[in-house]
Amino acid sequence: MAEKLDVKQGTLALMILRTLEVLGPLHGYGIARRIEETSKNRLTLNYGTLYPALLKLEQEGFATAEWRQSENNRRAKYYSLTAAGRRQLAREAREWHRTADLIAAFLAPRREAP
Amino acid sequence: MRHLRAALARIAGLFTGRRADDDLRAELQAHLDMETDEYIRRGMDPAEARRQALLASGGLTQAAEAVREQRGLPLIESVAADVRYAVRALRRSPGFATVVVITLGLGIGANTAIFSVVRGVLLRPLPHKGGDRLVYLRHSIDGPGRGNIQFSVPEVGDLRAGAPSLAGIAEYSPWFATLHGTDGAVRIEVGLVTGNYFEIMGLAPVLGRLTHPGDDGTGVPPVMVLTHEFWMRHFGGDSGIVGRQVRLGSKSATVIGVVQPAPYFPDRVDAFLNMVISDHHLSALMVLDRTHRMTEIVARLAPGATLEQARAEVAAAFARMQSQHRAAYDPVSHHRLAVTQFKAVLGERARLTLWLLMGAAAFVLIISAANVANLTLMRGVRREHELVVRAALGAGVARLRRLLLVENLVLAFLGAALGVVIATSGIGLLVAFAERYSPRAGEIRLDAWVLGFALALSVLVALLLSFVASLPREGAFASWIAGGGHRVNGSLGSRLLQRGLVVAQVAVSVVLLAGAGLLTRTMMQLSEVETGLVTEDVLTLPVPLFDFTRMDFTSDGATKQLYERMRLELLALPGVIEVGVGSTMPLRTSMLAFDVTAEGRPPAPGEATPHADLRSASPEYFRAAGIPLLKGREFAPTDRPGSGRVAIVNQTLAETFFPGEDPLGKRIAFTGDVLRFTPISGELRTIVGVVGNTQDGGLDAEPRAVVFAPFAQELAILGGLVIRAESDASDLAATATRIVRRMAPESPIENVLTVAQIKDQSVAPRRLNAALVSSFGILAVIIAAVGIAGVLAFSVGARTTEIGIRMSLGADSGRVQRMILGEGGVLLAIGLVLGVAGAFVAARVIRELLFGVEPHDPATFIGVTAMMAAIGLGACWIPALRASRIDPAITMRVQ
Repeated sequence: MAEKLDVKQGTLALMILRTLEVLGPLHGYGIARRIEETSKNRLTLNYGTLYPALLKLEQEGFATAEWRQSENNRRAKYYSLTAAGRRQLAREAREWHRTADLIAAFLAPRREAP
Repeated sequence: MRHLRAALARIAGLFTGRRADDDLRAELQAHLDMETDEYIRRGMDPAEARRQALLASGGLTQAAEAVREQRGLPLIESVAADVRYAVRALRRSPGFATVVVITLGLGIGANTAIFSVVRGVLLRPLPHKGGDRLVYLRHSIDGPGRGNIQFSVPEVGDLRAGAPSLAGIAEYSPWFATLHGTDGAVRIEVGLVTGNYFEIMGLAPVLGRLTHPGDDGTGVPPVMVLTHEFWMRHFGGDSGIVGRQVRLGSKSATVIGVVQPAPYFPDRVDAFLNMVISDHHLSALMVLDRTHRMTEIVARLAPGATLEQARAEVAAAFARMQSQHRAAYDPVSHHRLAVTQFKAVLGERARLTLWLLMGAAAFVLIISAANVANLTLMRGVRREHELVVRAALGAGVARLRRLLLVENLVLAFLGAALGVVIATSGIGLLVAFAERYSPRAGEIRLDAWVLGFALALSVLVALLLSFVASLPREGAFASWIAGGGHRVNGSLGSRLLQRGLVVAQVAVSVVLLAGAGLLTRTMMQLSEVETGLVTEDVLTLPVPLFDFTRMDFTSDGATKQLYERMRLELLALPGVIEVGVGSTMPLRTSMLAFDVTAEGRPPAPGEATPHADLRSASPEYFRAAGIPLLKGREFAPTDRPGSGRVAIVNQTLAETFFPGEDPLGKRIAFTGDVLRFTPISGELRTIVGVVGNTQDGGLDAEPRAVVFAPFAQELAILGGLVIRAESDASDLAATATRIVRRMAPESPIENVLTVAQIKDQSVAPRRLNAALVSSFGILAVIIAAVGIAGVLAFSVGARTTEIGIRMSLGADSGRVQRMILGEGGVLLAIGLVLGVAGAFVAARVIRELLFGVEPHDPATFIGVTAMMAAIGLGACWIPALRASRIDPAITMRVQ
């Protein structure tokens, strides 16, 4: 089994936003499953990490929540992306790529050895 | 925008807590259910599925707490909860809370009150604009009463020219005047000032204008500026005062303004006048003579100049003066010139006393904090169980620590509030106290700084208290919880701390008691000092008749006749035995003091010329005042102007000039520079009598040499009546004052006091010192006694079982008592030893405040130690008695 990683707050928000963009309105359990699967189970999300992050997105206006009936007939709170959330996702994704490229360039094996 | 929105949502979250909580619970439950469903679908049995789901959740309660923290403003919310909880917990133990609040209140109150004085008198910035740039120059020479001989006008001129780092020098000549008003005359202290005085001092008018250089010199109208305090006191703050003409002696001046409230030095002042009011201050003598020193100076440092620069320049200028004018600076007198910050000079008399009191108050706070710490420790042990439960329910160490801190803060703030109330009620008394030491007493108040000080103290105390309670380290939490907190007798560490605190309390109490003891003995010694008078039941009645603004001696004969008529009229009162007339009242310092030589005895080279006070006295004066005649005769009516000059000297003078010889018939004369400016004769005077010394320079001062001259042979510049009666002399005060007022309606009649009252006044500051430190000491002892009793009682409580077992094994109650007493006795003994050692050090620090008692006075130290030991043992006795009454049968059953 791969090494378990801790989720960083900022990246978790990005993952949630992306999950909601791809899958549409989803409840907390669904979001957790999706993130864990996407990470090939290298990430585990306990409630104490996930729900404060969801609430934060709600407070910032990037997501809204409403109670709905789930596919297997349970009532669950569904989160969906707002317009601001979409913009935020685009912005964050761009930032992230840029940072990732930069770090990758930094850490790349040196080609021109002296 | 996004942050603002989030913040608003969070603030809203503060108020939607309960509904959101239900929502959250449902959401988490749904998550859990769905996850369980998933596990079941994978083939787990339902119970196992639920267990796995719960494990994966990481704890529903913890998650809910984390969301709650995200929801509202977690700090405010949980602190509010902590405060609510703390108040509830304290309400559940009202006894504890009350004792703690009162103890802290006394400690903080004492400190706040004393700090308000320290701040007002020593620390507060001066009200003068740029007050920290003001410097005071003091000229002094060797000899008693010569610590400040002031400056002459030529000296001031040399300093102006020689010290460019002084931007300006303000001259101030202390003088006095009689102010005539509709309701009679009053004697007022005035300062004759140069026009630049107020500008240099950095003072502004509250009404009208202040003097300016245009008011200097001759040919200008006399103008008067009132001090704020005198304006309020005498004129009731009348804003129509500006422009009013007031009569001062035989002259008049125009009131031009009122200056802002400010402290003055060296004397308090009622009003300022320009020099033109005094003929003397414009005379050639005053202006030209280098040794005619009657001017005080305050200077302002030039921009950029430092105090050190000013000191160096002034020292150089002063050295130049001394080499250029050798005659004016007698080398054996050691002329010195000191440049001090004005602010420091204002505080110089108060400093030691105030720091002493501040130290005493700090000790009281230490003791009360130690007591509260002990109470907290004991309560902490009893609460251990509760804290364990809280930890098991998810509170971390930090959270528990915060809970304790909030609880202690609540206690400390309540204590501080009580302390401020105590300080407020004491502040009037303290202002009266400080007035004896500092011209800045009027600036004492409970301002923001003082309140901040009280607040800071309470926070400090709360912080300390929160960290004496023992909580496990983060890692050791589990074992702590598992242990369940059964150890009701507390950990070894906290027990040692408790005992250490008791030892500290005893030690500090001993230090305070020793200080109180020494100061009380000082006060007692001082009031037992013989005044030198055979009785203290003598009424003194100063009657100033001479007009100092005019300096006119032509009416001297009439003045003397008026005194004589007053004397006869008072003598005729029923119950009066004798009435005398003299220049200066007994136990008061003479304003006139000169160098003295004896005929045929030039002073040995290198020896300073002896100095003596001049007092004049009528023949009856000695009998009326009760000054014992040791040798020779009193003055006689035949000692008149024109007859040979005679003198009566006191013992000190006789021993200075004629050791081992009979002084009668020897001749002495006044001499020196100062004499030339006075109408006092330098002729030889034949000694006809010797009288005993009297404590005119203060009860704690060395007796001064005195020369008495016949009242009839000196000009009556000063005068007053001394009345000896058959019964209580103070009963005569009202009648005598009325008679004298009728005969001299123009004269201010003030300070009509008996000798006993004058003496009492001079002891008063020491009495207040002793009373304040004693009350601190008593407070400390009470708190310490409660502390010892509390700790032992706690120890007995914790050892109930052990004592029960001991008693069932045959220990009798006496043995148990001894055991507990021994436990307390050891602490007491260590505290006493440390306390005595501390008191030895403290006593050396306050040496200057003592009189007639050695700093290491054995009687005081033994008495204090015995007293503390007795009180401490008494405090041990109560828990010991309780221990001896333990019924072994009951304790065994309880277990």
